[in-house]
Amino acid sequence: MKAADPYRGRCLAVAVLLMLGFVAVLFRLFDLQILQAAELTAKADRQHRKSVTIEGARGGIQDRHGKVLAMNMDVPSVFGVPTSLDDPSSVARDLAQVLPVRAVEIEKRLKQDRSFVWIARKLDPEQGRQVEALSLGGIGTVLEGRRFYPKGPLLAHVLGFAGLDGQGLEGVERRYEQVLHGDKQLVIMERDALGRTVFPKGLTEQGPTPGHTITLTIDEVIQYIAEKELEEMVAATRAKGGIVIAMEPRTGAILALAVSPRFDPNSVRDLSADRWRNRALTDAYEPGSTMKIFVAAAALEEKRMAPDSLIFAENGAFQVANTVIHDHEKMGWITFAQMIQKSSNIGAAKTGIALGQEDLYRYLKAFGFGERTEIDLSGEMAGLLKDPRQWGKRSLASISMGQEVGVTPLQLVTAMSAVANGGWLMKPYIVSSIRDASGKVVAEQGSQVRRRPISLETAQTLTGILEGAVTKGTGIRAAVPGYRVAGKTGTAQKIDPKSGHYSPTLFVGSFVGFVPADHPKLAIVAVIDEPHAEAWGGVVAAPVFRRIAEQALPYLGVPAGEPVKVAFTLEPGVGVGESVRVQEQ
Amino acid sequence: MKRSRTVAALVILTMLLLYVSERISVVNVGYDIEKLKSQKVKLERERDEMKMKLSSLTAPERIAKVATEQLGMVPPKQGQVVLVRVEPENPKIGNPPAPEVRLAKYEPGGRWP
Repeated sequence: MKAADPYRGRCLAVAVLLMLGFVAVLFRLFDLQILQAAELTAKADRQHRKSVTIEGARGGIQDRHGKVLAMNMDVPSVFGVPTSLDDPSSVARDLAQVLPVRAVEIEKRLKQDRSFVWIARKLDPEQGRQVEALSLGGIGTVLEGRRFYPKGPLLAHVLGFAGLDGQGLEGVERRYEQVLHGDKQLVIMERDALGRTVFPKGLTEQGPTPGHTITLTIDEVIQYIAEKELEEMVAATRAKGGIVIAMEPRTGAILALAVSPRFDPNSVRDLSADRWRNRALTDAYEPGSTMKIFVAAAALEEKRMAPDSLIFAENGAFQVANTVIHDHEKMGWITFAQMIQKSSNIGAAKTGIALGQEDLYRYLKAFGFGERTEIDLSGEMAGLLKDPRQWGKRSLASISMGQEVGVTPLQLVTAMSAVANGGWLMKPYIVSSIRDASGKVVAEQGSQVRRRPISLETAQTLTGILEGAVTKGTGIRAAVPGYRVAGKTGTAQKIDPKSGHYSPTLFVGSFVGFVPADHPKLAIVAVIDEPHAEAWGGVVAAPVFRRIAEQALPYLGVPAGEPVKVAFTLEPGVGVGESVRVQEQ
Repeated sequence: MKRSRTVAALVILTMLLLYVSERISVVNVGYDIEKLKSQKVKLERERDEMKMKLSSLTAPERIAKVATEQLGMVPPKQGQVVLVRVEPENPKIGNPPAPEVRLAKYEPGGRWP
């Protein structure tokens, strides 16, 4: 008999133990891999996957030469994790050193029972770097897109502004929100144990599409000239405000649109909506004598009047429907051309009467009064031009001299551009093209004809008369040396909101014109609201027109039509680099 | 028989090792790409910051202020800027004159927003 293996029992015991161990492991494996599989996979995903919403940058806005007027930039925002802070007060004190928030305020936020609080949002990049340099636990920075308007108040009323969350709230920012805003995209990133993003996710995926870039018809330099001259005049006359629009008459493109007082779109928080409203197209006013241009256009087109037709100006007082119309200077027999040049109310009233209600209304409507110009900016008003059936006995005379009608400065300059443009009324526009992030043109806008209220012949005749209004009429201060200017002044009494009647002290002085008269490059309207002292359009608004035109025309490369009489000579013996005394002859 | 088995095992092992090393290098390249991406973002941010600065520094208002207040310059007076009309020697060469009235252009299929 073989001797019993003394180790057999032990071997068996070890084997059984091992078996049991393996069974236990198998059971655990079964539990983990099959029973709890779904739950654990999800848990792992939560740990190494991070889903973030990324927003494409908002598109920029630039002027016609590509100068940046509005752009987005990623700037730091500082947040805190109150639950992981031991000493909120000392952290708050440190942060208050570099952030524009008071320590007390930061401390209050950090003591909240929350896992995430904002401390300061959309800061300057430098402030973000300072916070990071402090390297405080429980405090972090993230980048968020912030809208910047690098030129400050320049063009603010047109650009509008975007809110803290990046949506356009006013102006072009609002009108073109749809094309400016970037796409939002949910991106899932895989991270390793150290929190680094792991390949290959994200390589083939495209990031969110950024918003489109908008190119305006505005010229930054002309805009600056317009704003500077308008602000100076508003300040000099202590006026309530003012408006200037410069348009390219041939196309209807807006070159400059200035509204005074200005505001800075970078800090709009404390301003009332009244300050940022684009009054050039939202507020209608009684234009006064500038309306006579279009009454005259109708009379010329209908052949009721010719430039040398004689009108009796009633020696300054003319009775219409139990009221008396006055002229600012007593005149007897005057020609139709003189009626415009001297701005005779009585002459204009008689011209309107000669036209009749239906024709006058038809022409004013054709010039675009009482309807929106359809410019691509939001908030435009149609103004006021009543239907002839609602006209009173005096209406025909009143409307002919620019009362009982409400026009926006934009309507006025658009209608004047039609006179400059051989009778073609164009649709004003302010955005010329939209490009995507790669620079490809997505949409383009050019000039669009709306209709033709008057013929080329009428437009030319009227231009001749309007040139006279500048060379020998009320608009003499609009004359630009070296260039032929056509234009007309307007001085309108405002309705006193208290009495409901025309105020003897509140006026709107305006001038609308174009230059050079023979091949117009610029149509400009200048409106000065409630100037103190002298309120005549020829005194307050015509000089604004001149100063803008005399700077903008050389800038646009428009040569003077007449030979320039003023020249300068160099004194003999002056070398290069030495100071040169300029002498006007 | 035994030898061919050893060879097969070696081949399989080599392939496995190759596969693993490839995986590792793919992951490393991934990290490199991520690093370059974040560097690109950083550089783009820097570029935007400079673009902003350039734009605000070239604002006409600022230039006029510096020119008049610091450099003692004055705007040109009437007649100091003279523009001269230049007629091309051969009028046939050069751009044709722009038509009197241009009509609106749209990209095919593109709708104005």
